[in-house]
Amino acid sequence: MASISARRLAKELREIQSEGCPVGITLLEANDFSRWLFTIEVMGESLYQGEVYDLQFRFDAQYPISSPAVQFVVTGGKQSPIHPHVYSNGHICASILGNEWSPVLSVIAVCVTLQSMLASCKVRPTDNDRYVRNAPENPKKTLFHYDDDT
Amino acid sequence: MGNSSSSGRGHHDESVDYGSLVPQGVYTGPRDWNQAIVSQLIVGRRLAPFYRPLEEYEDSWDDDQILAARKELPDLDSTDSVTRIEAAPSAAAHASSYRSKRPGSLKEPARPEAQVYRGAVECPICFLYYPPNINHSRCCDQAICTECFVQIKRAEPTTTHLVSEPAACPYCVQDNFGVVYAPPPWRAGLGSEGSNPFWSDTQRSSEPTAPPTHKRRQKSFGADSPEVVTTVDQIRPDWEAKLEAIRAAVARRANRRIIMRQVGDRLIPVGVTSGRVHALSPEEAAAAASAAESNGSRRGRRRQGNQNGPFEQFMGMAGQDLEELMLMEAMRLSLLDHEEHQRKEAEEKKKQQSTAPSIGESGTSSTEAVGPSETQSRPGPGPSTLETRSSLQASTSSILSSSPSSKRSISPAPKHTKVGSQDSLAPGRKSWSISRSRTPPPPTNPVPNLPVSEENQTAWRNRTTGPPAFSTLSAALTSTSTAAAFLGAASSSEQRSSRSVTPEPGSALLVTSSVPANSSIPTITVANNDTESGITTTRAPSAISTKPTSQDSESGAGIGFGSYGPLPSSPESDMDMSYEHSMGSLDSTTKMDGQVNSGAAAGSAFLDEHSR
Repeated sequence: MASISARRLAKELREIQSEGCPVGITLLEANDFSRWLFTIEVMGESLYQGEVYDLQFRFDAQYPISSPAVQFVVTGGKQSPIHPHVYSNGHICASILGNEWSPVLSVIAVCVTLQSMLASCKVRPTDNDRYVRNAPENPKKTLFHYDDDT
Repeated sequence: MGNSSSSGRGHHDESVDYGSLVPQGVYTGPRDWNQAIVSQLIVGRRLAPFYRPLEEYEDSWDDDQILAARKELPDLDSTDSVTRIEAAPSAAAHASSYRSKRPGSLKEPARPEAQVYRGAVECPICFLYYPPNINHSRCCDQAICTECFVQIKRAEPTTTHLVSEPAACPYCVQDNFGVVYAPPPWRAGLGSEGSNPFWSDTQRSSEPTAPPTHKRRQKSFGADSPEVVTTVDQIRPDWEAKLEAIRAAVARRANRRIIMRQVGDRLIPVGVTSGRVHALSPEEAAAAASAAESNGSRRGRRRQGNQNGPFEQFMGMAGQDLEELMLMEAMRLSLLDHEEHQRKEAEEKKKQQSTAPSIGESGTSSTEAVGPSETQSRPGPGPSTLETRSSLQASTSSILSSSPSSKRSISPAPKHTKVGSQDSLAPGRKSWSISRSRTPPPPTNPVPNLPVSEENQTAWRNRTTGPPAFSTLSAALTSTSTAAAFLGAASSSEQRSSRSVTPEPGSALLVTSSVPANSSIPTITVANNDTESGITTTRAPSAISTKPTSQDSESGAGIGFGSYGPLPSSPESDMDMSYEHSMGSLDSTTKMDGQVNSGAAAGSAFLDEHSR
């Protein structure tokens, strides 16, 4: 039998396929239960108008208890959005992907959150270079310091 | 059906209200909760039993459909999982009538195993369906199955995050997650015998026809309300022990000292002491022992036979040892590298010059004041580097001067002879004298981890049991600044090197590796070279907790793990440690923003995206 991760992802996938993704989000690839790819686009007027980004989810066997590793794809000609919470290596600094992850969240919920996150200013994080140079391959291994800038 | 007996046994030995006492395999990770306590809570109807979940559920289903939808789950405890689902309907029905032997269930037309699923609810976390008598979060009244409930726990403390925060509700993020459980009005299985007055009256009516429906309650339960089962305090009573284990590991690490040897113009890390064995003063030891005793008994009572704790502690210690070994190896390589470098340099010098005491010139006036042993000064090649001790003042000075902000104050005190220095330096006296109190024997083997020979032990004992060689300690303190400069911990060296004394030449200096979150007093100890593998040379922190305390508490990370960086031969440990170090400073509650100089992880500029 499948692990909880596969089991739940199967259900999420079924829901995505039956109900479709929210506007601006499309499922690009979900061949297995370890890595999914979405495209994400900010709809309406924004600094990111017309730009489509690839968002990669990686799941471990303990999903949804443990959070997925989510990052923008920066290979194959793809780039990460220019955003204070997004690094040029695709890593995303968002608390819901770290210490505020909750098993109640779903893949689509994360997509929608990130989509709404993109609607903000167009500045690279100041410590982008330093972070990217030393960052672990898996963004989950970074312990971000989350500032509340709401 | 060959295996149905075992499945049946499971049912009548271990079932509560047609659910199980053990998880049904929804999650495959380690069962790190206290299963005995969970079972107890289930039998006591304080937590929903582990029901086999349904993959889907429709209200229109009949019993067979329900039972067929019960997902086949791996039975981690036995091997009958394959036949179990086929066997379940009839065998379980049979088992139930066999089990209860009660009039109510003997000729039950509707199978209670299926009936309990009437009105099944979906757990919002695992997306599986469970009987409506499911747990609800105490705070926001959301359903959560027991499988998911036992997965939710405090974030494990790490060496850089020494607090164990209570688990938050996955739904509303309120702290101290807990659930309440409203059991069905009937009882079956364990705990049902003679204890339920409703059994004979209500079973037939309530069970098949009136599945309990959860009425949304208006109030939330407090975390300490008696109905509430709290994850951390009740099903994982060992969280405290885990936290203590991590804290102990960090304390060990904080107590661990890098053993530095001053060789020529450099301080060479030659080893690291084990932080585990360190000399406590009798009072400290007594206090620690009694504390451990009281902790132990308290925890022991509450743990109730948990077996994980000691094992995990052991694992932690093993990891610690490995880390120490790796550090030692890195240092050994570093030393070898340095000796090679020294040898080459010495050869160069021999060629180039024959008269000028070049080393002394590079230093300061203190060089001239060097005592009789000055005459021994010569650049020591390789293994015999200890013989270069008299050049140390100069070299130390040059090291210090290389750290721009260090306020140097080379002690003008006259050089002591061996006897004189010891006489003049009473314990506790804050005089910063030149310490030439001891002439260490040249080691025959510079490689750390020398077995402590009897002779060396004696030498060391003699040294420490005499009038406490405060001069050597002060020298070591000074050398901390030197070491800081040497190690390249730029920010900390500024704070540390406000005082400088000539370090004792040739001695091994133990530099405290202070871990940020640890508040213990950083210590610096002086050790004999030959006993530097070091456990025995570690002195109690209290012996020298004077000025450096404030310095170190300011600088926090000081010569912490992040500062191990420059060890030339250990790039990997460098990266790991500085990464850890930065995480620690980010994480720790102490304010240490300025300390993050390794740049391995995010600074304080990292921003948080709030979705709410």
